[in-house]
Amino acid sequence: MMEQLQEIRCKGLGVSEGIVIGQVLRMHDGTQHVYHWKIDDADLEAERRRFRAAVALASRQVLTIKEKAEERFGKDHAYIFDAHLLLLEDEKLIGDIERHITKEHANAEWAVKVVGDNLLYLYSQIKDDYLRERGSDIEDVMRRLLVALSGAQPGNHSLSEDAVIVSQDLLPSAVAELDLEHARALATDTGGWTSHTAILARGVGIPAVVGLRDFYRRTKTGDRIIVDSSRNEVILHPSAATLKAYQAETATRARQPDIADLAAMGPVRTQDGVEVTLRANVEVPSEFDGVERYGASGVGLYRSEFLLARRGAMVSEDEQRLAYEAIAKVAGEQGAVIRLFDLGGDNLREQFQEPEKNPALGLRAIRFGLCNEDVMRRQVRAILRAAASGHVKIVLPMVADVSDVRRAQGIIQEEARNLRKAGRSLGEVSVGAMIEVPSAVFMADRIARIVDFFELGTNDLVQYTLAVDRGNDEVADWFRTLHPAVLHSIEQSLKAAAHAGIPAIVCGEMASTPAYAVLLIGLGATDLSMTPSSIPRVRRAIAGIDSQQARLIAGECLNCDTADDVENLVRERFTNRWPDLFPSMSLPARGQSQ
Amino acid sequence: MIERTLLIKARLGLHARAAAKLVRVASGFHSKVLLKRIDGPGGGNVSADAKSILSVLMLAASCGTELQASAEGIDEEAAMNAIDRLFDEGFGELGPEASR
Repeated sequence: MMEQLQEIRCKGLGVSEGIVIGQVLRMHDGTQHVYHWKIDDADLEAERRRFRAAVALASRQVLTIKEKAEERFGKDHAYIFDAHLLLLEDEKLIGDIERHITKEHANAEWAVKVVGDNLLYLYSQIKDDYLRERGSDIEDVMRRLLVALSGAQPGNHSLSEDAVIVSQDLLPSAVAELDLEHARALATDTGGWTSHTAILARGVGIPAVVGLRDFYRRTKTGDRIIVDSSRNEVILHPSAATLKAYQAETATRARQPDIADLAAMGPVRTQDGVEVTLRANVEVPSEFDGVERYGASGVGLYRSEFLLARRGAMVSEDEQRLAYEAIAKVAGEQGAVIRLFDLGGDNLREQFQEPEKNPALGLRAIRFGLCNEDVMRRQVRAILRAAASGHVKIVLPMVADVSDVRRAQGIIQEEARNLRKAGRSLGEVSVGAMIEVPSAVFMADRIARIVDFFELGTNDLVQYTLAVDRGNDEVADWFRTLHPAVLHSIEQSLKAAAHAGIPAIVCGEMASTPAYAVLLIGLGATDLSMTPSSIPRVRRAIAGIDSQQARLIAGECLNCDTADDVENLVRERFTNRWPDLFPSMSLPARGQSQ
Repeated sequence: MIERTLLIKARLGLHARAAAKLVRVASGFHSKVLLKRIDGPGGGNVSADAKSILSVLMLAASCGTELQASAEGIDEEAAMNAIDRLFDEGFGELGPEASR
């Protein structure tokens, strides 16, 4: 049905293994760069028509959202979408944009941007703080118009059998909405090894290639595509020959996870007999199966905020309790560590609250809980009640120091008392601290004295130690997991835990990568939690190494001056010491560690 | 044409939600309805078409602002009364905001 198109190969970073031949399903994230081009006189009418069609499409979308919102949150909350609708019907706004198209011979996207930016500028001059913030409504509408112009379909997607999701960037909430059981692969323009897309793709076990730069705009929904994670590549409009080669290749490899690996359960021992616990990180229910399938010792990290990403802010205590009971059941005897909502600035905020300038350093995680006690108390009660029938633990996200921990513990104890007073059944729950910001590392020995366990979130630890946003392409070169500063932070935290005699789980993405996992063992870790599908690989690596040798190498790494030195050292030492486990090609090269 | 001075009592001023209500009400009449800030941001005399949400938003009218409203047309009396009532009721959101 389509003419033969030129095959396009695009290089990125394969972050989740596998090869898939499928069809593109474009998903728009709502933000985009706007390009400017000139429209000829003859095409002006067509351009204005295109714009009006986009306005009509956007209006229909807002109407649907409004109806849904009315149903769920009541008429008063849905009124904001009425404002969005009125903006889309506004003679002045729509007229201004059309006039800009005509007068400047501008493409519709550009006209929307110019007119929108002007309005936002005028709005930014308003003296009243509250009103000024409302510029966000205008921005929202402009963004929706741009999406409509791009022809993308936000919202519900019905996935075809072989859908490969192609996007510039996938927001966690968008990913959460997706029926990942049916998505076959992911390909995104931005992102790296530890981006959200990557973590989820590995979690669900579908191939993903990220960092494809400008791939998204070249695609159309329905295009044929091959995602080849092992070659860090995607191929759009593959030629008949390419297709044939890939079909042969996928047929021969057809899912052959090592049966011995799959059969292995529970902890793994290094060659010199050090026992290492392997746990599973999970967030969406489609990952639950993996806990048992890959032989995890329970759930080391349950990212509870996904309960909210799916249903908005309205998750009741009982709904939460059921979710936690379910995860406890999945985790079994080894239990599940539930991380309290790690909400960033925007997850739970309503339209009317002002966005933070710097959400990573803002009111998030435990801080958000301490400032929104009703949300935190409700979650704590749900966990305490779930503990009556299953093994669950609480970990406090992003604590900065002892006082964060004390305040949170106070709330937990109070809620336990309240439940008891009310005659509710509840269970004992141990409480741990996430160590993921530098201040917590510096104070690790003090924090260790007052908590039941540590959990090291290496992703955030890298981000905060190096002051590098892991989602920002521009600074990707500075995001170095193997930076000596990061290794020192990990070592110091592990030491503090050992000194206080409490367990420490390392749960970031680092633990999912065999070479890094071995390095973590060298730094003193004996308890790792990772995406379930990574467990067999990590298990194989750990079973093949000697922890004393890993310690020696880690010691050398701690003495390095730069991340480059560490990476080179790891590559060289690992390949020499364990050539079967780490043939030189298998080690994350520079760039892959990012 | 009739004119009236109206006071914004809504705690959060004429923000998007209140503005949307105002535009819906004003659009239900044939008459032309204009709102003018008596002080005017930056001293100027800004006037807004009450049937255009953008125009109303640009008034940037916060709580306590006085507006000069005018209605002109066959149903000007009814239009002005309806708008007066809306202002008087604080757009249905007086007092501590019940959101959340």
